[in-house]
Amino acid sequence: MIRLLAGRLVQIAVTLALLSFAMFLLIGLMPGDPIDLALAGDPRLTAEDAARLRALHGLDQPLLTRYLAWAAALLRGEFGYSRLFAQPVAQIIGPALVSTLVLLGAAVAVSALIGLSLGALSAMRPRFAPFADAIAILGQSAPSFWLGILLIIVFAVTLGWLPAGGAAEEGGWEALRFLVLPVATLAMANLAAYARHSAAELTQVLRAPWITAARARGVAEMRLLLRHAAPNAAVPVLQVAALDAGSLVGGALITETLFARPGMGKLIYDAVMGNDTNLALVALLLVALVTMLATLAADLGQRALDPRLA
Amino acid sequence: MAARWLTLAFLAFATPALAQPARDSLTIGITQYPATFHPNIESMAAKSYIAGFTRRPLTARDAAWDLTCLGCVTVPTLENGLAVREQTPDGKAGIRVTWELREGWAWGDGTPVTAEDMLFAWQAGRDFTTGFGGSEFYRRAYEAIVESPRRITLRFDQITFEYGASGDWVPLPAHIERARWEAEPRTYRTRSAYETEPTNPALWNGPYRVTATAPGSGVTLERNAHWSGPAPAFRRINIRTIENTAALEAQLLAGQLDMVAGELGLPLEQVTALERRARGRFRFEYKPGLVYEHLDLMLDNPILADRRVRQALILATDRAQIVARLYEGRQPVAHTTVNPLDGMHDDAVRQWPFDAARASALLTEAGWTPGPDGIRRNAAGERLTLELMTTAGNRSREQVQQVIQGMWRQAGIEARIRNEPPRVFFGETVSRRRFTGAALFAWISSPENVPRSTLHSDEIPTAERNWSGQNYPGFRNAEMDALLAALPIELDRERRRALWHRLQAIYAEELPAIPLWFRSDAHVWPLWLEGVRPTGHLTPSSNWVEQWRVAR
Amino acid sequence: MRLRFGLLLLGLLAAGGIAAPWIAAWLGLDPFAPDLFNRFAPSSATNPLGTDDLGRDVLLRLLEGARVSLAVGVATAVAATVIGTGIGLLAAWRGGVVDAVLMRLADGMLALPALPVLVVLAAADTGRIGLPRGEAASDIIRIVAILSVFGWVGVARLSRAAALSVLARDYVRAARALGASELRVLLRHVLPNIAGPIAIAAALTVAGAILAESTLSFLGLGIAPPAASWGNMLANAQDLVFSAPWVAVWPGLAILMAVAGCTLVADGLRR
Repeated sequence: MIRLLAGRLVQIAVTLALLSFAMFLLIGLMPGDPIDLALAGDPRLTAEDAARLRALHGLDQPLLTRYLAWAAALLRGEFGYSRLFAQPVAQIIGPALVSTLVLLGAAVAVSALIGLSLGALSAMRPRFAPFADAIAILGQSAPSFWLGILLIIVFAVTLGWLPAGGAAEEGGWEALRFLVLPVATLAMANLAAYARHSAAELTQVLRAPWITAARARGVAEMRLLLRHAAPNAAVPVLQVAALDAGSLVGGALITETLFARPGMGKLIYDAVMGNDTNLALVALLLVALVTMLATLAADLGQRALDPRLA
Repeated sequence: MAARWLTLAFLAFATPALAQPARDSLTIGITQYPATFHPNIESMAAKSYIAGFTRRPLTARDAAWDLTCLGCVTVPTLENGLAVREQTPDGKAGIRVTWELREGWAWGDGTPVTAEDMLFAWQAGRDFTTGFGGSEFYRRAYEAIVESPRRITLRFDQITFEYGASGDWVPLPAHIERARWEAEPRTYRTRSAYETEPTNPALWNGPYRVTATAPGSGVTLERNAHWSGPAPAFRRINIRTIENTAALEAQLLAGQLDMVAGELGLPLEQVTALERRARGRFRFEYKPGLVYEHLDLMLDNPILADRRVRQALILATDRAQIVARLYEGRQPVAHTTVNPLDGMHDDAVRQWPFDAARASALLTEAGWTPGPDGIRRNAAGERLTLELMTTAGNRSREQVQQVIQGMWRQAGIEARIRNEPPRVFFGETVSRRRFTGAALFAWISSPENVPRSTLHSDEIPTAERNWSGQNYPGFRNAEMDALLAALPIELDRERRRALWHRLQAIYAEELPAIPLWFRSDAHVWPLWLEGVRPTGHLTPSSNWVEQWRVAR
Repeated sequence: MRLRFGLLLLGLLAAGGIAAPWIAAWLGLDPFAPDLFNRFAPSSATNPLGTDDLGRDVLLRLLEGARVSLAVGVATAVAATVIGTGIGLLAAWRGGVVDAVLMRLADGMLALPALPVLVVLAAADTGRIGLPRGEAASDIIRIVAILSVFGWVGVARLSRAAALSVLARDYVRAARALGASELRVLLRHVLPNIAGPIAIAAALTVAGAILAESTLSFLGLGIAPPAASWGNMLANAQDLVFSAPWVAVWPGLAILMAVAGCTLVADGLRR
């Protein structure tokens, strides 16, 4: 177990290092550095201004030198400044990360809950299986921004029940209302996987001899499901969670843009588009780190639950 | 399915709005978040919009486009003696200009705004290691003299007709910022209080001050206790950034926003569609402005070097039809870079109509005759093909681009669409003159802004000039160069007008770019809000927030 | 049942895409020519699904979009399958260090947040590597290339697992004992026997690619106009979704159908 853990952590570190280099190169090679953009936007900037500003931002150095300097600073714990928000990167990322984790956590919880219920329904009552399947397939087939817009039209604009986007000023009940639509949009795409895996697993478990025996003893169907079958279904759920961690962050980008919620997805997008290398890289690496740790945690959980895998 | 959504969308306007609380706050949606709050680092629309509420410049153009005092007492002129011609120490013709600060003007912590603040701003701007954007103003203003706590004089080594305008030279709170700047000018931009503690009241001298910021999503403003002008109507103003315009409209319709600022709000076509459905719920105003949409033509391309081809292109483009159909006629067709609302506009300037026959005649004259596939060819058999570029992802421009492509095809000109993300398009393709045909984008200018950087032959970007300058087409015209040199230093308004008229005549004849239209800002206000006066230029309506009122 | 229904859905869409020019000729409309006098027309006899923001027929553009979107999906699946199968086979066959490195690479890719990385890749400038910028064909190539970067991982993992079990079978040992070359073993004995799982992975990749194209379009990084793809039609319609919802509804449904079709096919193959 320790060996495995150590191996995985080394792997994560190597991946992050490779990723940071590749992304730095890609972003650095993108045309239009900040000064080019400023020149195009401001007619008063002269040739001397361009040279002066470029030197001030260190953009006159070769790319590799800049990468090494950046990486060295990062290892010293200096995340640098965001060009886009003119603030220390760490200061911007903190609240965004919290907001995204809340969104993703809620989405995973909701999609797992609904997905499992649908899975259980189709395992227990096979005639509902096509219905549960249809919901799952439709949910995962709809482009998420399209689904989001439809939800906004219905629940925010037409019915006026829920806010169309933004973040709550204060916490509590009000904050929950702001979460409903984005979470629903994200959860729809992911519930299919949960429904499918749990249905498959439960169907198998319910056929097991000890379940038949329990049934023969007259154990109630509900109790049967919750006490005997459910723990077995937890394994595939963790498996799905592990596989989906990466794609969830992608979903967060879309929902955060559409619902104008501050968060990591939107931050990375804005930073890449706005040529804010510092912010883009640190945010990207952090998100990659969090996803890989989540994957690792889910893997470990799975091993703990299922001795066959250990 | 479609029909059902439609009905649902209509239903939206049948449901009564939620009960409104007492209106002491105003929530405004805009599409951009300011990169910085520092007055002198980077210029962007979101920053000037918020600055209108929270800071005041000495002078600005008002809604009638006249230069007026916001932070000063009188606009300096030669006539009122606040501006005096003089010789510079090295013998050039110069001018000294004195501004007197408004009495009672104070920072949010109660400290008065004084000449010291102006002096500090000048010093920081003049030290070119500070990293402020444009340095031209500070290069020209070679000396600053504090005459009294409320009077400051600058000496310039050049006289321009805009000598009374203070431009971006605005007060910086010396009692907060000077120490930070003096510690190390090179890193001042990241240590400035505007970046590290934007909610410090001492940074703000407008009717409002910033009380909370959420990077990327919004800014909260509250009344500045030390504001001495007329009290503004709202206790609090929330400014929310929503970049996706569909989401912006949704939040407006859901009642989460009171208004959408026209300066950085919804695209015009989206607002005209909204107005058709929600006329009784919001007030709409369209203000033509100084955003000049046009097609820059690459004059190094032999096809486009021929003036007849350029004229044929404009004749083949039915600009009036596009404006009428896409924008419901709400944007004025442009004839040159000069806006019809500008005092220097020549109403008699050549106005190219849509005329397919003349376009065809001009192209034939230039040697381009119709080929078998409808596309014209020259004697050598080359097809009349031009690249038509714009920024990828800008739906409004992509729309126009496709319409123009269709119109040119009718005239036998093939336009090949090739779009790039903004940072590639502006950062390299256009600014390094790597486009080969036409590039669709806009310029933002100010009233009577001399278009030197876009039309003077010295402003053609090259590697030697660090790619500065914005004469992307590569326009060279000796008379134009002379006009551009003469215009800024001609102080007599009427003589200046004659120069402006000549400039417009050359532009309309030579067509270094094809003028399309001036963009209009589409403002959406709640029915109960009064007194907002859109300006149409770079000084946003928020600079007159004291006049905004709740209707009874 | 599922397989058939899925194939039917996909077949319909593909047939529509193939028939697009004939349907356009029959309706007498050009899906690329703007008509400013006929913007946002509701559905009628001439425009069965109405017209879009430039007065172009929505049905015809949907069919044109089918060509582009399905091409993106299929091309991505082909590229991802070829690369993925190759890597999976190589890993299973060589084992040892090669296997470990390749599979750690796959694990790493799988754990990455794909979309933000795709955004960086999509915003990168293809002009620098010699591809023409901004034209429809090069747009498709660019998007396929980007999506394949992540697409191969799933295929590789599946094919490796399947290949490992096949390689351990008796008939492979027998073939080797009879002196068959390693290449022949892999191509003649292993590949046909792992075709099932690969086909499932490929179907899912098609679905993923179609969804990813629409997402990139939403972010303004997809296929550029005037070419039509379901993604860019949908993204274009979003600003006016409140005044002309049908323009957004149809491409959304098309994507839904295509992705559901692929999922059903994959499901059907699995059983």
